[in-house]
Amino acid sequence: MKNVTLTINGKKHDLALEGHETLLEVLRNQLGLTGTKTACEESECGTCTVQINGKAELSCIKLACDAQGEDILTIEGLADGDNLHPVQQAYLDYGAVQCGFCIPGMIMSTKALLERKPEPSQEEIEYALDGNICRCAGYPKIFDAVRKAGEVMKQGWQQAARPDEKNESRPDMEKITCGITYEEYVKTLNAGKTAEAADQ
Amino acid sequence: MSTSFNASQAKTNLDPVGKSVPRIDGKGIVTGQTKYVFDVSFPNMLIGKMIRSSHPHARILKIDTSKAEQLPGVKAVITAKDTYNIKYGSNEYFFPHTVDQMALESEKVRYIGDEIGAVAAVDEETALEALKLIDIQYEVLPSVTDPLEAMKPGAPLIHEAMNNIGVILPVNFGNPDRALKESYLVREDKFYASAAAMAALEPHVCVGQWETFTNKITLYSSSQAPFKCREALAKTLKMDLNDVRVIKLAVGGGFGGKLEMLPMDFASCLLSKKAGGLPVKICYNREEEFSFSRRKHGMYYTLKSGVTKDGTLTAITGEVIADGGAYCSYGPTVMAAAIMRTFMVYKIQNFRISGYRVYTNTPIAGAMRGFGGVQSGWAIESHMDLLAKDLGLDPVEFRMRNITTPNMITVNKMHLTTNGLKECIEKATEAAEWKKKRGNASYYKEGVWRRGIGIGIAADVMGSKMYKSHESAGSIIKIEEDGSVYLFTGAADTGQGSNTALSQIAAHSLGVKYERIKCKSGDTETTPFDTGSFASRVTFISGNATLRAGKDAKMQILDIVAQEHKMKIEDLDIVAEQVITRKDNKVLMSFDEALNLCYSFNYGKQIIGRGSYNPKTTPIDFRTGEGNVSGSYGFEAQIAEVEVNIETGEVRIVKMWDAHDIGKAINPQSVEAQIEGSLAMGIGYTFYEDLKFRNGRVVNANFANYRLPRSIGTPEMHTILIETNDPEGPFGAKGMGEASLLPTSAAIANAIDDAVGIRIKDLPITPAKVIKALQEKNEQAKQEVSEK
Repeated sequence: MKNVTLTINGKKHDLALEGHETLLEVLRNQLGLTGTKTACEESECGTCTVQINGKAELSCIKLACDAQGEDILTIEGLADGDNLHPVQQAYLDYGAVQCGFCIPGMIMSTKALLERKPEPSQEEIEYALDGNICRCAGYPKIFDAVRKAGEVMKQGWQQAARPDEKNESRPDMEKITCGITYEEYVKTLNAGKTAEAADQ
Repeated sequence: MSTSFNASQAKTNLDPVGKSVPRIDGKGIVTGQTKYVFDVSFPNMLIGKMIRSSHPHARILKIDTSKAEQLPGVKAVITAKDTYNIKYGSNEYFFPHTVDQMALESEKVRYIGDEIGAVAAVDEETALEALKLIDIQYEVLPSVTDPLEAMKPGAPLIHEAMNNIGVILPVNFGNPDRALKESYLVREDKFYASAAAMAALEPHVCVGQWETFTNKITLYSSSQAPFKCREALAKTLKMDLNDVRVIKLAVGGGFGGKLEMLPMDFASCLLSKKAGGLPVKICYNREEEFSFSRRKHGMYYTLKSGVTKDGTLTAITGEVIADGGAYCSYGPTVMAAAIMRTFMVYKIQNFRISGYRVYTNTPIAGAMRGFGGVQSGWAIESHMDLLAKDLGLDPVEFRMRNITTPNMITVNKMHLTTNGLKECIEKATEAAEWKKKRGNASYYKEGVWRRGIGIGIAADVMGSKMYKSHESAGSIIKIEEDGSVYLFTGAADTGQGSNTALSQIAAHSLGVKYERIKCKSGDTETTPFDTGSFASRVTFISGNATLRAGKDAKMQILDIVAQEHKMKIEDLDIVAEQVITRKDNKVLMSFDEALNLCYSFNYGKQIIGRGSYNPKTTPIDFRTGEGNVSGSYGFEAQIAEVEVNIETGEVRIVKMWDAHDIGKAINPQSVEAQIEGSLAMGIGYTFYEDLKFRNGRVVNANFANYRLPRSIGTPEMHTILIETNDPEGPFGAKGMGEASLLPTSAAIANAIDDAVGIRIKDLPITPAKVIKALQEKNEQAKQEVSEK
């Protein structure tokens, strides 16, 4: 057993760890941070990706003791309350999420890429995410989300993420499904009917 | 192509059906808050491990677990002697003779990994240590791992079935022999479709707990069909259905692999009982997931078909031999799908294909996305292209002359109502500029790369009766005083987004905004019955149940409003959160005000809507192949444009087009994502997904050696949604989860043929096979020249 202090999502945790314990095991089993998933435990799928000092790293092959003094960021440390990180928001908006099991790792890899390169080329996106397997979605919607998130991050996401500020990348669903008044709605319905009638 | 939010478009309609609303569980997923069974843990929870056979085929002589039981930290060890030795299966209703698997085997093991028992200990290390102390003595039997060998007389018998043929499915219509004789042209081809793994990212996992005081069990399982799992558990544990509760949390992908109860589900409950009621978690690692869960059937396909001079199909005949592995699983329905999907695609009167599903000493083949349709899509669509080539016809033109049409009854009595197949082909070929590119090698030639374009078409069911005489789904909508709307559905969201689609349907049918809905799904005790997520049935069948529940709840609210205002219910409606009069579109009150009225002093009426739906279908008569299995049918056409490197044999996909008749897209973004995911899976299956066995053992049981599609090399994908507004579907919608996977491999192979004139007939299409075919073609060409 070794006494180790790990800095995770900006919070210090004093832990007594065995030398063989991986960061993944410590995150999930000891700290209850189950947002970080794993699908292979042998560094092949990218599902367990976290950021260490800003770099995307696989927590399944990182010994926890070695992470002492490093700045570890997991999926739980991204959102600011209800205010999602632009990468999270873009994944949601662009339908990049299906079963979601790969998503925490995918988001961490994306974030690391965009912090390094906010306007990545298609090739750069593909290379940065090649270590993250997604079995459900193919990858096109993920690519869209990455590009959009990059745009938002370039603008400085703290501002862009505020819901009152107009930003195309963050549609306000309240407005979309119920933001207009009933009269307006009927008007649009009628307008549609008139247009149809005119067509015929 | 992708849809992003188009606010201006969305604003013209308040109703959520047809909108790309965000996933109902999306926020939880992107923040890591969503709980999968994988993430679940309870106080004093034990870790379980399965005791497995190390031989592909052997008789069990003796099992000694005493040493393991004495190991400190081990809390329970179970073997078959702790069970009732009841067999279970997946197609019990229609094929009782295929019920062939024991939760724990006591006499004989039939593949490497066959479950013999299980241990539960305080942690994983102890459980693994205990496994080493289990002493099993075997009499090793000769084994057979190839289906063609297994069918031969004298091959070792795995079950009682003659020649190891577990399922025989002869389908015969018309007079195919005469039709072939009278045909202008007949050709025969042999194809092989490889075995593949579902490889869902979340491995199989469950937590079972036996309440010792009440003798009830609760199982948390990563399941596509919790009610099916409950049934199998109750049967094998000899319990009443209501004593078994199966709860599905978020599921990290299924693709058919999580449709059945695995012995681990059974074992976790029984271990918990033996350990005095402590919860037991069993979680597969990746190697176990590849080796001991379920896999796709490898299939040998022989097809012999005839055509008239003008390109009309006269007869399709052939034979399918499938490698079924050690037990039957969903084998019968997989075989049925592998043979009968053709009827939905091609107008054909003379047809004979016999299916043989053969037992081998390999991991169990089950229901993987497409249910045998992927293998048949590969064979049939390749074969059709070859027929067209022989006739000198354009493959699109050839298909157009033979495809099914709307409102037709097929020779095996399937009622195809809405059918957008023609439109799918037209739209896809138009988008892909088929006429310009096909057969025109000169439009693109760069160094060693040659370009070609190919098509494949497919059709799919939306629902199929598999383990019950009915396949109904139920929904309950509960509306509380504060205006929150709860949707309870038995449907299992395995990641495809059914909770979102069903919530949209609920909101739309009720006349409220999507954000009001809270969806609770897949708990056998608190949600209505649903057969599960398979056969692309959820949007269609569970959607119809939800639609009915929404309408029922709406009527209950309107009833109160009508009483209060002395009006008739028929004159009222709820649209866009407002109660209105139908005649003059006047707003009477808001939805919230209406609810206040329902829950007021005078009325005090709870709003609980209910809906049940069972499609009007007839089950397939498996002796003849007749039956209208589905309430509606979905169609699609797919085009692949590829580049072939004539020096290295490498094939890369430039672009894919997919036009899909989905009836009505409840959530266009989700529909596109499903199609794109299917295409990726299809590309993987075409080029590299191949589960390999050596002496019955899976040799590529990890992501390094079993390659999945990754981001590099993802082609551009263009999806076209064709909306045929099915009268039976909820808001016109059909199911669509599987069809786009069916023709992908053939479309790619057809494109390779167009590019370099070679035909690969066995999957996967590797560079080595391409090079070999190119060499053979060149030699043949040389020979022809020298002969001249």
